[in-house]
Amino acid sequence: MNNPDLSKPTRQSVKGLILIFIIGVRQSIRIFWPLILVVVFQEKILENKLVLGIIGVVIFTLLITHTILYYLNFYFYVSNGEFILKKGYLRKKVLAIPLDRIQSVNTKQNILQQLLNVVTLEIDTAGSVGKELKVHALAKSFATELQNQLRAGTTKKATIESSGQTETQEISEKLILKLSPIDLLKIGISQNHFRTALIILAFGFQIFNKIQDIYADKTEEYSNELANYLSQSNWALIIFLIVFFLVVSILFSLFRTVFKYFEFKLVKQESAYRIEAGLLNKRNVVLPYSKIQELNWETGPIKKLFGIYHLVFKQAVSAQNKRVQLVDAPGCLTKHLNLLKTDLFGDEVLSDIPKISTNSYYFRRLWIIFGWIPVLLISPFFYSEWLLWVGVVVWLLITGGYSFLILKKRYFRMNSNQIRISKGAISHKFTQMELFKIQSVEFRQTIFQKRRSLATLKLMNASGSMIIPYIDESMAKHIYNYLLYHTEISEKRWM
Amino acid sequence: MENFSNSILTPENLPEIKPEDFNLLDKKYRTILFIRVAIFILFMVGGFIAFMILSDEEPATEITIIITSIIIILASYSIIITIFGFPKKGYLVREKDISFQKGLLIFKSTSVPFNRIQHVEVNQGILAKMFKLSSVKIYTAGGSTSDLSIPGLPVKIAENLKAFLSKKISEHE
Repeated sequence: MNNPDLSKPTRQSVKGLILIFIIGVRQSIRIFWPLILVVVFQEKILENKLVLGIIGVVIFTLLITHTILYYLNFYFYVSNGEFILKKGYLRKKVLAIPLDRIQSVNTKQNILQQLLNVVTLEIDTAGSVGKELKVHALAKSFATELQNQLRAGTTKKATIESSGQTETQEISEKLILKLSPIDLLKIGISQNHFRTALIILAFGFQIFNKIQDIYADKTEEYSNELANYLSQSNWALIIFLIVFFLVVSILFSLFRTVFKYFEFKLVKQESAYRIEAGLLNKRNVVLPYSKIQELNWETGPIKKLFGIYHLVFKQAVSAQNKRVQLVDAPGCLTKHLNLLKTDLFGDEVLSDIPKISTNSYYFRRLWIIFGWIPVLLISPFFYSEWLLWVGVVVWLLITGGYSFLILKKRYFRMNSNQIRISKGAISHKFTQMELFKIQSVEFRQTIFQKRRSLATLKLMNASGSMIIPYIDESMAKHIYNYLLYHTEISEKRWM
Repeated sequence: MENFSNSILTPENLPEIKPEDFNLLDKKYRTILFIRVAIFILFMVGGFIAFMILSDEEPATEITIIITSIIIILASYSIIITIFGFPKKGYLVREKDISFQKGLLIFKSTSVPFNRIQHVEVNQGILAKMFKLSSVKIYTAGGSTSDLSIPGLPVKIAENLKAFLSKKISEHE
């Protein structure tokens, strides 16, 4: 079992029968639920126990036959440098993917699979077949072995193509980062609770308003005591709600963090990372360096206190499964970050290069759009209320301060091979990319920018885009031309 | 600022993209744009008239004035944008990349190097078919944000462009 022979057709683990059966049950419920509803609510049908029993038995045998046939007709093997997967009994399907097209081999494990000790194996390709290349029940040891073999096959091919060197078959792993429960606690606490709390608060206020409306209707019938009480204690109530929702959202973030990143491990392989994490849904993702389009890291006020960063590896997006392409490490220290940067971007240190700041007109534009325009739009409705004037001043101060923070954190550093963009307001986000990974470049200039010889640049790579707003027009043009030149002479594969 | 050009190692004469080098789109494409604007205005006016006829009560004069002026503003805006925006639209094919520019109020210029193109498509809408025009759509791996679409090309030129780009793509593979 430890050394799978991939040239022979292999079936899934026998335990897979249980999984296939459950998937079958789930699918048939999804298809037939209107019918099931009818049966449940039509008591007449329910009365006839015999018919019901027969239907039950028929469905059960059908499902069992489906399970067995599906299991027997599902197998995979490697032949002529292709990974081949055959499935289906009524409609047979053959999926084939050349080994060198395989991007990465990942595994997932939900709670049932954990009990059975089997995994879902996902083969990630750049093309569209990727989504279907899934094996739902493989013994864990077998899957790991398969993962290594397929990986070894792909890296060997890739390196031979590029440098002609031979490669050892063994995959050596080095643990880079492991998160203990205490780390997870820190990470959970340092999430952006304000955002979560605001969402919950907005939701809460809606309900609160509804209740008040209802009471307002009934005050004439009953007494308006409660309504009075509610409106008098508004401030106390609001403070209570804020505290309450903050506590709730902290707990929420904590649970989410623990579930998602339980026993998080970041392992370094030969020119790839492997990430393992999860409590109920375990995932095991392999990330080849070449597939990483950009590295993002973020820190915030609380994160700074703990000295941790949230890391995100951004991979090439394939139109089919966009959501899988984000792989992140929720908390790492500066030393881990530096290690990863050296792996991905080499020894060149961008921090020594002077930073290029965004022009202060960017601040002006932000403040006008988010501060002044809303105020001007609502001004006809409140010019007589002095309290609202106070509110307006506070609003303008807050948006002004916020816009200023955004301006200060917007800058970038660039050398001839890579770029690092900084942005954020309260939190601080960085994005670093090798310049040859660019797919296209956009130069943008509004008439307001033109008057001041400013422009905005947008750089697009296979995982998304990054914006450099409000820089000097001549510099923007220079970078635009340079990026095209650099990409066009580059011989490196962007993926 | 000075530090910047020192830190970047650039060749002496970096090939420059100049807006004046761009090829204009076919004049017939402007007619298509005008027809589109006309249809848009027709729909607005038609909708407004239908609203006036079908509503039970006579709408207040203020509302009529506001809606009429909104329609006039929108119509004149789209006409002006079409007239003065058209000369801003253009494409440029260089040895190693292809670019498209447009925009009167917000000028935009996008370039895609040939070695990043995934595939090329020629499209033709109903209106374009009547005027024997096509558009060329260039797909990259970056998803919809980084794709490039060049409308208003005579069918022959569009086909040639596609053939040219396809050849360039195969050279890079």
